[in-house]
Amino acid sequence: MRPARAAPGSIQRSWAHALRQELFGSPADSLISVLLISTIIAAAFSLVRWALGQAQWAVIQANTTLFAVGRYPVQQQWRLWLLLVLVAALSGLSWGLLRAYPRADRSGQLWPFNDRLAVGLLGFLAAWLPAALALGFPLQWRWCGITALLVAMRWLAGHWGRSWPPGLVKLIPVIWPLLYLFGMVLIAGGLGLPRVSPSEWGGLLLTLLMASFAILLSFPIGVVVALGRRSQLPLLRWSSVLYIEFIRGAPLITLLFLGQNILGYMLPGGWAPDRVWRAAWVLTFFCGAYLAEAVRAGLSAVPPGQLEAARSLGLTMPQALQRVVLPQALRIALPAAVGQFISLLQDTTLLSLIGLLDLLGTARTVMANPEFLGKNAEVYLTLAVLFWCCCAALGLGSRALERRLDPTHSPA
Amino acid sequence: MTATSQLMIEARGVQKWYPNGFHALRGVDLCVSKGEVVVIMGPSGSGKSTFIRTFNALEEFQEGSISVDGIALSNDLRNIDAIRCDTGMVFQQFNLFPHLTVLENLTLAPVVVRKRRRGDVEAQAMALLERVGIAEQARKYPGQLSGGQQQRVAIARSLCMEPRILLFDEPTSALDPEMVGEVLEVMRDLAADGMTMVVVTHEMGFAREVAHRVVLMSEGQIVEEAPPTVFFTNPRHERSRQFLAQIL
Ligand SMILES: Nc1ncnc2c1ncn2[C@@H]1O[C@H](COP(=O)(O)OP(=O)(O)OP(=O)(O)O)[C@@H](O)[C@H]1O
Ligand SMILES: [Mg+2]
Repeated sequence: MRPARAAPGSIQRSWAHALRQELFGSPADSLISVLLISTIIAAAFSLVRWALGQAQWAVIQANTTLFAVGRYPVQQQWRLWLLLVLVAALSGLSWGLLRAYPRADRSGQLWPFNDRLAVGLLGFLAAWLPAALALGFPLQWRWCGITALLVAMRWLAGHWGRSWPPGLVKLIPVIWPLLYLFGMVLIAGGLGLPRVSPSEWGGLLLTLLMASFAILLSFPIGVVVALGRRSQLPLLRWSSVLYIEFIRGAPLITLLFLGQNILGYMLPGGWAPDRVWRAAWVLTFFCGAYLAEAVRAGLSAVPPGQLEAARSLGLTMPQALQRVVLPQALRIALPAAVGQFISLLQDTTLLSLIGLLDLLGTARTVMANPEFLGKNAEVYLTLAVLFWCCCAALGLGSRALERRLDPTHSPA
Repeated sequence: MTATSQLMIEARGVQKWYPNGFHALRGVDLCVSKGEVVVIMGPSGSGKSTFIRTFNALEEFQEGSISVDGIALSNDLRNIDAIRCDTGMVFQQFNLFPHLTVLENLTLAPVVVRKRRRGDVEAQAMALLERVGIAEQARKYPGQLSGGQQQRVAIARSLCMEPRILLFDEPTSALDPEMVGEVLEVMRDLAADGMTMVVVTHEMGFAREVAHRVVLMSEGQIVEEAPPTVFFTNPRHERSRQFLAQIL
């Protein structure tokens, strides 16, 4: 049964009521509220007036490429566009399939309100942002095309995903890592593509690459170390503890400098050939240690009866961990892990201190350019908004995942 | 068939110490033959749970021997896995997997352990859910069911591995009184089908009607072992009389 139309209205009314209670409950409350709210509004108003009137956004408009990909060679940038197209197509496909296959106990909507909102927002951004950044017409069309592709794939998969062969649907989780590897090849070169040295990567590209590399690889590290820490085997347990305590005992910036100097000796030759890869490994191991603690907390929150039940059904220890214990532990660890990922994303700005041109590093070179002297406010505001968007996306994604995995504990 | 081949569980002189040195089982002997229903009773802390958990190697023991369905329990992991496949266990706290639907709870082990085709297992699982009377809940998650329903799912989950023995550790103790009946009903039904069962429970009615033998444990030992008619009306040991006086 669908809820009656009146429901949202009544919810809003009670919302307004609660708000009034909170803000204007007593005369003193009212005074504080009025003062606070007027200060906030005034501040926001001046910010908007500055952003629309005084600020000179030419510093951003003239450097969009630099902020996006750093000094990536112009003749090779089609590779990044190709990657973007593939990512957009696969995102749309996965998104649509998630809606086409709701949870077993739910009759999911094909186009819930949030999805319509997201599509609207994407469309607006695709139309407005390239124009606001004063990109050329071809580029504006390219962005619109990519967004349209994403939405189209979302629509296709949402409506017809159910009639596709189940093998295809199961393939999606495998395609993502493959696409990641292929993206690496596209970015770095190989398989016949000319090499682009990591020192030429920069801007948002470098920031996202470092963060995603560290996030993806730190995950298995975190799980293994967390299991190791709870293991019966003393050697495994003690080495896990040692690793965690070593990483947590030192600030990231120290580890980054240390990594630049010693990772060349520690890892096999090809793994950390230059400064960028060394930094990537340090970020990975750093994040892995914190993640291990989050996963360990998740593991201890799973009642021991779960493992016993799995074992009593004849599952071996690895099977029981994989099918019963880890799915529950990881779900519990998810919010803490995503918090960790968000701070990792922000920590990538430390890379600028070891001389890499990530977003912050790029921004600093731009601001050092005599042509754009004194435009710090514009640059930093842009940076803040960019980071905020990335972190918000991570947060939203994790919350959606959490809801989907929520096993709806007892009805009582 | 010889008498020994019909023995499903044979425990001889089992002794167990917990890692903290507590002597939980002090030489326990028990034989259960095929199709028999044995009820174990005893005061709290007497070692009932510890004892039946040694049958499927959830607890280790230090001395004595146990063989289940003709397979000796040893440190050999293959033996342990074989025994666990043949032995279902139902827990006081249900221990359903909360992240899987009811149907997936049933199909997990047959698909993963016995490598059976999912389609076949699902058909069998639905038949079992039908039998315990909750087929219409198959697509729900355990957290959305009542306690009695959850315990019936847990029984069906054990049955889906087609075990030759079922172990129950106080299956009704965590249930609200009005739900005890529905679970006991399923267990009665299983006993009538000739399932070999070892049941730790304080449900007198169930023991009286269904059990072939009642065993009383106290302080890690078996004090009395008798058919229910004898056990409840005319126990031989003073300790049994005290126990019955307490729970009646
Ligand atoms: N992990 C453990 N370490 C040490 N002692 C334990 C452990 N588990 C149980 N014991 C002790 O072993 C004895 C037997 O425990 P067991 O759980 O088998 O009792 P029970 O007969 O099942 O009791 P109940 O009716 O309360 O379930 C108890 O005295 C208990 O304190
Ligand atoms: Mg017990």
